[in-house]
Amino acid sequence: MNKISFYFILFFSISLFAGEDQTINLIVENCKSCHNLNIETTKKIPSINNLDKDEFVRLMKKYKNDNDNSVMNRISRVLSNRDILKMADKIYDKK
Amino acid sequence: MIKNKFSRRKFLSNIAGNLAFFFLSNAFLLKRLNAKTRPKIVIVGLGIGGATCLKYLNKISDLVDIIVVEKQNEYQTGPLSNLVIGDILKRKEICFKINKKKYEKVKFIYENVIAIDVKSKSVRFSKDLKINYDFLILSPGISYKNDILQGYSVTDKKNIPHCWDGESNIIKFKKRLTDLENNSKIIISSPDYPYRCPPAPYERASLIANYLRKLNKKGKILILDSKNSFTKQENYFREWKINYSEVIEWIPRRKGGKVTFYDQKKNLVKNSDGQIFRGDFIHIIPEQKAANIFYDSGLLNEGKDWCQINPISFELHDFRDIYAVGDSIDAWAMPKSAFSANSQAKVLAINLINKILEKEYVDPVFLNTCYSFSKEDRAFSISAWYRLNVKKDKIISLGSSESNVNANNSDRKLEAKHAFGWYETMVNDLFI
Ligand SMILES: Cc1cc2nc3c(=O)[nH]c(=O)nc-3n(C[C@H](O)[C@H](O)[C@H](O)COP(=O)(O)OP(=O)(O)OC[C@H]3O[C@@H](n4cnc5c(N)ncnc54)[C@H](O)[C@@H]3O)c2cc1C
Repeated sequence: MNKISFYFILFFSISLFAGEDQTINLIVENCKSCHNLNIETTKKIPSINNLDKDEFVRLMKKYKNDNDNSVMNRISRVLSNRDILKMADKIYDKK
Repeated sequence: MIKNKFSRRKFLSNIAGNLAFFFLSNAFLLKRLNAKTRPKIVIVGLGIGGATCLKYLNKISDLVDIIVVEKQNEYQTGPLSNLVIGDILKRKEICFKINKKKYEKVKFIYENVIAIDVKSKSVRFSKDLKINYDFLILSPGISYKNDILQGYSVTDKKNIPHCWDGESNIIKFKKRLTDLENNSKIIISSPDYPYRCPPAPYERASLIANYLRKLNKKGKILILDSKNSFTKQENYFREWKINYSEVIEWIPRRKGGKVTFYDQKKNLVKNSDGQIFRGDFIHIIPEQKAANIFYDSGLLNEGKDWCQINPISFELHDFRDIYAVGDSIDAWAMPKSAFSANSQAKVLAINLINKILEKEYVDPVFLNTCYSFSKEDRAFSISAWYRLNVKKDKIISLGSSESNVNANNSDRKLEAKHAFGWYETMVNDLFI
């Protein structure tokens, strides 16, 4: 990653999505594109359903900080820690 | 949150005038649809964008009437279609009929929509058949520019099918590929931006190379490109070097890659400098624009290629209560992909529900992840989040990033597994 896009992402990751709960809902809707939350349709992508809330938060922070450029690292690095906590609330507190 | 300017009273007074329903061949449907004075949402196109809108709008099917109009009985997906060409999947594995059991209150009409009449707020199938709408969602995909390449016509059946939509004959494409003799030369003409699924021409070249090898045939694939660079380029170059060394050659526009002339009988193309390239299998991927229905209905003027929309509601500029999503819109930084169409359609549907329920609009965020295969067990991806600019009038990228160019075999394998997983989740969610 070049320097400019790194700072760009860093800047956005502080304030990107956290403001509005509705926006967090939309982020979660986008997670569902690969990790369907209602039914386990595929074994090829790990299910979020099988995790508990703390495990989800731990894994998301790990992906975010791993810096290995895996698809989850790339997707999670624009999320702030607050975004991740709010996503966890949204996914697991409803269950 | 963003204020939506919808007035319920005005809306309700409009409804009465909009309930005329002239679907003559189906009196039962007519009776049922006229029975209630509630908002009528018509969705045209049951591909990725349309099916996603349907899934979300179905949540309020107790409050609104939903009618879906689709011209084909069966939908063949763009994603994984190159794997059918490359003999990794069977065509039936990428074809779907919607599971109507999930949508008990929704009416499905299998007809070709000829035009939209903005004044009477109706969707026309033929001279006498039309239905009215209160809200119209259009997700009809793309059409092709016929005037860019001299000698080439999209509708000429003797050409190699372009296979850039679900209607094009993928079986015929594959048969002509399979029938090629040893040491044949394949030419792929790749279009200029913007077009549906930017990495797909290069995925197709890779999987054709893979297929020729399986057939024990030698051959050469020449990609003549109307562009000077392409998405995931470094990843492709690396994969070609590892897997198809000496088989795939890419010629960018600046080195004569822009094809301007095609002669089907003589099996040749010419570039803008008049240089001739002969091939045994000439595959033109045509330049693209929004689906015909926009032009036929006066929603887009000739010369304009893509629909202008409001990025919060997806309502068309200049046309109230008509929404467009997916490949037919100009989505600024977002590429034309199934993942994008899916993500955009979620926002469209959620904000249309907000409008109907008189709630505030959600400030959108979008995601795209696009996988490409170089072999059945090797894939790589590009992904990005998107949101609106400060003025809230366009979609901007928060920075896209790709798989590592030097990824090892197990990383490539894992991404191939993820690609199949994404696809399964999507088609299960939307169609099955
Ligand atoms: C070779 C190839 C590979 C691809 N690979 C990927 C990939 O790996 N990942 C990815 O994210 N995307 C991929 N795509 C892109 C993806 O297919 C499109 O971006 C996506 O389908 C767009 O959705 P849409 O709803 O806009 O259009 P579509 O999915 O094309 O749906 C349009 C629907 O509208 C119907 N329709 C059109 N006109 C009318 C009318 N007048 N009346 C009634 N019905 C009508 C059509 O029959 C069709 O069912 C690929 C595309 C191609 C060509």
